[in-house]
Amino acid sequence: MKLKKINCTNVAEHICGELDEDINSAACRAIKKHLKSCPNCTAYLDSLKKTVLVFKHTPNLRFPAKARKKLFATLKIKA
Amino acid sequence: MPTNQKQNLDRTESILIRRAKEGDERAFAKLVKEYETLVYSFAYKVCREKEKADETWQDTFVNVYRKLDQFDGKSKFSTWLYSIVANNCLMKHRRRKLDQASVSIHAPEGFHDEPFSDDEGHVVQTIASWKETPIDSMMNKELKELLDTAIQKLPVDYRMVFILRDVEGQSAEETSKILKLSIPAVKSRLRRARVFLREELNGYMTT
Repeated sequence: MKLKKINCTNVAEHICGELDEDINSAACRAIKKHLKSCPNCTAYLDSLKKTVLVFKHTPNLRFPAKARKKLFATLKIKA
Repeated sequence: MPTNQKQNLDRTESILIRRAKEGDERAFAKLVKEYETLVYSFAYKVCREKEKADETWQDTFVNVYRKLDQFDGKSKFSTWLYSIVANNCLMKHRRRKLDQASVSIHAPEGFHDEPFSDDEGHVVQTIASWKETPIDSMMNKELKELLDTAIQKLPVDYRMVFILRDVEGQSAEETSKILKLSIPAVKSRLRRARVFLREELNGYMTT
């Protein structure tokens, strides 16, 4: 991405890179600079980070041990 | 994990795989026990329904048993397992019209090309901030149902990228191997999935 001056739409399109890796490119530096002075993009990035966090924290279902017995019976395995 | 400990574990796993390939049922059973939770957890996160997760888990290990010879050891065993789960999930969803759709991204509400400024030149915040409540304390039944609905709206191929990258913590490279996608395709789908899910949660998280 070649950007000299960036606006909020540019940030919205490329903001996800912030969540992936800290790329030290000119574009990322420009985005970081923009974030410092733009409450909208800061709020947007924060909400994307929280989206990821909330899914990461979703309680998972416990593995049903009887499934293993069923599998071994299907495959006729003595374990 | 220290390098020596990891090398020992890798060696133990290689031995188990070799023995299982040679027909050692106990070695295969140990592999199942080692990976049963990982496979079940991923299947449930993608399917979001207990019955489908049960079925996917069973199908995955039946495939593993039958195709273990095809595992060449060039990738991690977990990568190979993830790819079998992903294939099973994709096959189950293939007929759904929703899953053939792509995810379109719209600018979020309150977003403008250039930020608005007040009379004194200060940028006005037009995007609502999300609640500051810690995630653990806001995880209630209502939010869980919202998350289930949101992720089920996401086409399964986007969903798998999101879960592998953001929930399971796989790298872009591993995810590309698991789903047989290019790395740019993984990044593009991840970005679209995140934006889509953010929009789905926005109303709940700002009120």
